[in-house]
Amino acid sequence: MNEKIIDHLFRHQFGKMVSVLTRIFGLEHIELIEDAVQDTFIKALKVWPNNAPENTEAWLMTAAKNRTLDLFRKYKSDSNKHIKFASGPASLNLSELFLDHEIDDSQLRMIFTACHPLLDNKEQIAFALKTIGGFSIPEIGTALMIKPETIKKRLQRSRKKIRQEHISFSIPIGKELNDRLQRVLEVMYLIFNEGFHSSKQEILVRKDLCGEAIRLVKLILKKPSLRQPDVYALFALMCFHSARLDSKINENNEIIDIRNQDRSQWYYPLIALGNEAMNKALAIDQNLSIYHYEAAIASEHLRAASFVATNWSIILEWYLKIYKSNPSSVALLNIAIVNLQLGKTETALETLQDIDVSQLAQRSYLFYGAFAEYYFIKKEYDLAIRDIDKALDHVQNNSEKEYLKNKKQQYIRNSLD
Amino acid sequence: MKDFMLLFIGADYSEMGLSPDQIQERMGKWFSWNTKMREQGLVKNGEALVPGGKRVSGPTRTVTDGPFVESKELIGGYYIIKARDYDHAVEIAQDFPDYDLDHSVEIREVMVFDQ
Repeated sequence: MNEKIIDHLFRHQFGKMVSVLTRIFGLEHIELIEDAVQDTFIKALKVWPNNAPENTEAWLMTAAKNRTLDLFRKYKSDSNKHIKFASGPASLNLSELFLDHEIDDSQLRMIFTACHPLLDNKEQIAFALKTIGGFSIPEIGTALMIKPETIKKRLQRSRKKIRQEHISFSIPIGKELNDRLQRVLEVMYLIFNEGFHSSKQEILVRKDLCGEAIRLVKLILKKPSLRQPDVYALFALMCFHSARLDSKINENNEIIDIRNQDRSQWYYPLIALGNEAMNKALAIDQNLSIYHYEAAIASEHLRAASFVATNWSIILEWYLKIYKSNPSSVALLNIAIVNLQLGKTETALETLQDIDVSQLAQRSYLFYGAFAEYYFIKKEYDLAIRDIDKALDHVQNNSEKEYLKNKKQQYIRNSLD
Repeated sequence: MKDFMLLFIGADYSEMGLSPDQIQERMGKWFSWNTKMREQGLVKNGEALVPGGKRVSGPTRTVTDGPFVESKELIGGYYIIKARDYDHAVEIAQDFPDYDLDHSVEIREVMVFDQ
């Protein structure tokens, strides 16, 4: 029995169960529903080791439904209030809601609710990770490096907005669908990047965030009407990046940059999955989104047999396209870094000088690192060391810090030669 | 071999803000312990107890609602196991999964009435 329970079953079930129960009992009762699901897991913890059910998911779902009804009864007798079910469970064919495709549909409704435009990005991410992802408040805090109290406030704000604005538990239709889908993709992208790029936290937590984003995008792709090119492109991008996730960190939890990664460790089934998704995206239509560009860049890195063999000119073209469609300091920074790789040091310098470093936030250390690299190439070792020190001042993550320290040693060695 | 009762004492899990992942992880430990004991044929039976409860007391049979002790001292469940002696029972109790939550195991020998 023990072996049969798959990893993160409870975490994933949390989102499923909360979504299905929300569809039955209404979005305004979401807190009570989350409590009921939490109670259900505690019950499973106590009961299963002595008396394990055959079908764990069905057991959980039934127990959670019963617990929700219990809590409603208790709430009713405590407050002497009459509870009105938003969706009128009597009018629904309840058993149908527990079929696989309806469970998926309920989860999608929850994802689209989480990404409602009345919520800001930060609230959307917190709400999605908690309610769909099944992460606890402290776990979200750890993953995002934000105090749990702040997460708690964001969740309270989002629930309050959902209640006060009577946000409906549905997938929008027509033009609204497209706008909302864009927001959904953005939130998934942010969650994934939080795991993949922001190197502030432990590898385990980071992988969890990436995995969660992939799981949710996969869920979106299960619904035919949502299979749009940019969803496929985002999925491809996530697959390509994830293929490198294990080779990005060594046994001492230090970042290994792409130059030194063991390419034989890259996980090819994910690359194949990404390629397949990319082909599907392009088969639907040739309009390219930012996710297409980023996926193209990631795929170009994966294609190169070695770091030296990387086709930087193609990568540069994609970065220029990204900058054209969405000018940002981050895009400029990437362009500068690629120009350094191409040996176009002066172009790189000009680009670096155009960057507003205050826009880079936690990536500012990469900016100083790029300057340091420029001076290193120019053999101006003192300036290189000065800027690598600035990078060290701004880096937050320990493994990235180690990487920069090693660079600095390299600069110092060269300056002494 | 004699029978011993292991009583699990500590706060209720629902008070601890465990995440779904943490609950599942903890359950894995309970499974391992249970499996280990069963493979050695040590478990006679065991159950978890629902928090709360009723108490009937005194000549007037006064009924009160639980909990009756401080929340840190609730009995959450029990096993009846076979062990050679207290030392052996203590050894078996080493794998109890919840020491890290400040829970404890109380071990009591089940009395046998010999003729």
